[in-house]
Amino acid sequence: MPESAARSACAVALLLLLLRGVGASAAGLDDPADRMRVTELPNGLTVLTLVDPSTPVVSLQMWVKVGSKDEAYYTGLAHLFEHMMFRGTERLPPESHERLIEARGGQVNAFTSRDVTVFFADVAADALPLVIDLEAERLAHLRIEEETLASEREVVLEERRLRMEDQPDGRAFEALMALAFTAHPYRVPVIGWRSDVESVTVDVCRSFFRHYYAPNNLVIAVVGPFDEEATLAHIRLALGPLEPSEVIPRNPTKEPPQDGERRQVILFDLRSPILTAAWHAPPTGHPDAEALDVASLILSGGRSSRLYRRLVYEEQQALSAQGAYWELQEAGVFYALAAVRPDGDIERVANSLFGEIARLRDEPVTGEELAKAKRQIEVNLISGMDTSHDLAARIAQDYVSFGRVRPIEERLAAYRAVTAEDVQRVARTYLRDDDRSVVRVVRPPESAAGAR
Amino acid sequence: MRARARSLALLPFAAAALACAGPRPAWEKPPPPIAVGPVVPAERVHRTKLDNGLEVFVLEDHSLPSLEVGLAVPRGAGIESTEEAGIASLVVEVMKRGAGDRDALALARAVDELGATLSVSAGWDSASVSLRGLSEDRGRLFGILADVVRRPRLDPREIARARAEQLAELGQQDDDPGAIVSRTLARTIYPEHRYGLPQDGVPGTVTRLGPDAVREFYGRIFRPGEAIFFAVGDVTPEEAVERARVAFGDWKGGDPVAPGPDPPVRSPPARRVVVVDRPDLGQAQIGLGHDGLSRTDPERIPASLMNTVLGGGGFLSRLLSRVRADEGLTYSVGSGFDLRREPGPFIVRTFTRVPETGRVVGMVLEEIERIRTTRPPTLDELEAAKTLSAGRFVLALETPASIAGALVDLDIYGLPPDSLDTYRERIRAVSLADVARSAQQDLHPDRMAIVVVGPASDLVPLLEPFGRVEVVTLGGRPRPR
Repeated sequence: MPESAARSACAVALLLLLLRGVGASAAGLDDPADRMRVTELPNGLTVLTLVDPSTPVVSLQMWVKVGSKDEAYYTGLAHLFEHMMFRGTERLPPESHERLIEARGGQVNAFTSRDVTVFFADVAADALPLVIDLEAERLAHLRIEEETLASEREVVLEERRLRMEDQPDGRAFEALMALAFTAHPYRVPVIGWRSDVESVTVDVCRSFFRHYYAPNNLVIAVVGPFDEEATLAHIRLALGPLEPSEVIPRNPTKEPPQDGERRQVILFDLRSPILTAAWHAPPTGHPDAEALDVASLILSGGRSSRLYRRLVYEEQQALSAQGAYWELQEAGVFYALAAVRPDGDIERVANSLFGEIARLRDEPVTGEELAKAKRQIEVNLISGMDTSHDLAARIAQDYVSFGRVRPIEERLAAYRAVTAEDVQRVARTYLRDDDRSVVRVVRPPESAAGAR
Repeated sequence: MRARARSLALLPFAAAALACAGPRPAWEKPPPPIAVGPVVPAERVHRTKLDNGLEVFVLEDHSLPSLEVGLAVPRGAGIESTEEAGIASLVVEVMKRGAGDRDALALARAVDELGATLSVSAGWDSASVSLRGLSEDRGRLFGILADVVRRPRLDPREIARARAEQLAELGQQDDDPGAIVSRTLARTIYPEHRYGLPQDGVPGTVTRLGPDAVREFYGRIFRPGEAIFFAVGDVTPEEAVERARVAFGDWKGGDPVAPGPDPPVRSPPARRVVVVDRPDLGQAQIGLGHDGLSRTDPERIPASLMNTVLGGGGFLSRLLSRVRADEGLTYSVGSGFDLRREPGPFIVRTFTRVPETGRVVGMVLEEIERIRTTRPPTLDELEAAKTLSAGRFVLALETPASIAGALVDLDIYGLPPDSLDTYRERIRAVSLADVARSAQQDLHPDRMAIVVVGPASDLVPLLEPFGRVEVVTLGGRPRPR
């Protein structure tokens, strides 16, 4: 008797908990971005502030609206210049920027993409004034000298060897973009072609800095626990005197339509061959973006997705396989990537992968697949609000792309509206065989790797 | 509203610092003293123990409608014999491939339908299963977790598939020069010990792993007596504990876990220089190392601060300052102690263009020798290492999931549960003498393993000044010179 009583009491407790606990759900989500404040300085600088007292970390991110797409003459310049931003000012020796922030335990870094160059510092709240002063110092008084440029060029060339030249993945991706784009500067690798990086001069860097690192080409986002008024006052004082740029040059080139499949084979001494393909897709913010995201999750979101099931699990020819929509500002790309098993057959992988792309065009996806993909997107959007860094990146990226921040609810609604017909329509519109560029990285016939 | 880790916020300092941010740049002021005190939000942490010995740990956080539930055991690849190397990785992978009423595909579908992520992992000292999704699905999240932990099917067909994938991945690693350095360095430092083989094993051991071995090893490490269940996120402690009791309360344990192999001996006994021949590479991947410290070694805090000065502190460290910032010889160089249950390795990793390999190896050895002898850490360097470590620590505990992960980690190594709250005080207490002693005791440039991957014909003459050079193939076999 006591035992069964205990058990039923336990069951009742669980039932009560179940009934009480069902309240919290994704609907009616509190989106912290709703509390964001936009401040425009007279010199054109945009400052996004979002106070969040619940975290100990402040993230300050400076988004510069310049990427490899804006380069003329010297490819890799935007990225090399990102490095030069750490090489000292009139008052501070090289690397002081990182050292001063790291000495506070902060994380400081930067990255360059085809569209933007982003500098960030994630710090304890008490280090925010330091970060603001350091950003102001390098924007106003950066030193660009022959000696630091020479050593930084070597650092970047090592980064190039690491990521591109000695890595089959890097080689494949570099070749894929150069194949898919014949005219638009997206064809160029962000890190640049080796001979250009070797040739960049101090004068080229100085002119690049003047044109693009001006307040009217910057968005600064600050997220975390800080005094909003005091911080804005500090930013006005430190960054207000910067002079805007009168000319911000942009490349006018548009990609002409593709008129048939393009193929390239790269010989590389490797064990696991690579198959990758790209299709032209719309730029960021296009109404078809959500349907393309849903298509990519149906292809490779989780282990019940189509590409994993067929290429990795059933046919056992690939180690991984994915399809993804990559939004860029001026033109998008839908790409597929498969790592072929050392004992696998790359042509069989290609047939299966392109077969799955054809199936997206030929028949509507199932209701179950559609619901699953939307649920995965919902969970991803919600869990993306976890850190000051992620939140700052989200508001800055949206602001740079759209001049506003898209509320989570608006994004969820757009995904919820996607139908099976939409997925089939975008597959037919964009994922056409005659608009495909395909790169294979395979062993040379006399391969050492084959004998390894 | 995101309500979390309020006790971490350093708001009073922020206000004070902002008030005096004037024309005098903030970098002229020294960093504020290291704050001490608790970092774990005690009011939101709940711990209990079930009758079968299972620890239950809940970190309540209602800021987002999401929930992670998981279970960790304090054993992993470190208790494997060298003959069964790779079995822990294989076991957790197979657990993901069918459990309870569901086969591999049905389980994948059940997880994907929730938009959830099912993660399994096996490290040297622990193995874990966790599931992240929305809190409104918590009933199903608990159910799937219990199936995967307690009722994995361990189906022989899935074992064969997972083993073939593990072998294929080992083959794919031959395409990554960095991975070749890591595994060759391990083999050179620990020629006799399990730590000398990669966590995922090598083709020779993985090929032999079959269904019997998988079942036996699963039973050896997954048992309630030493396990810890954790729930982080949008759930009340009462509900989480009750659900854990329903899911795991009648889980029976077996005998205590057998201890792993003996600790590694001091190694290598003398310097060894090994080149792995990849004639096609333009960049030499470089690794140096020897045996190091265990996760529970009382010297680990002084050693970590000493290492921050040497190579673990980004541009504040001597290695990155010299090899990258001053000389432009690399994009990255760093050092660190890999703390495991038994002493794991101390490792320096970098890379450079092939002709500069000798210079870079020489610089690394020279900096290690200097910090031990002629240039021990200075007071300024030690203070910077301390503020860096204390600051990184706070940043690393930004989210409830990261706090929970750090607390589970303490449990795995049997370290005091208040270790996070006392960490910054322990950092503050380290003296110059402590870090100088650590440099002398814990760094051994005279008996380091030096491993370089790249074109042997170019590399051998560059490396001969450091010792007799052994050239091996990718598989580790000696190649005649």
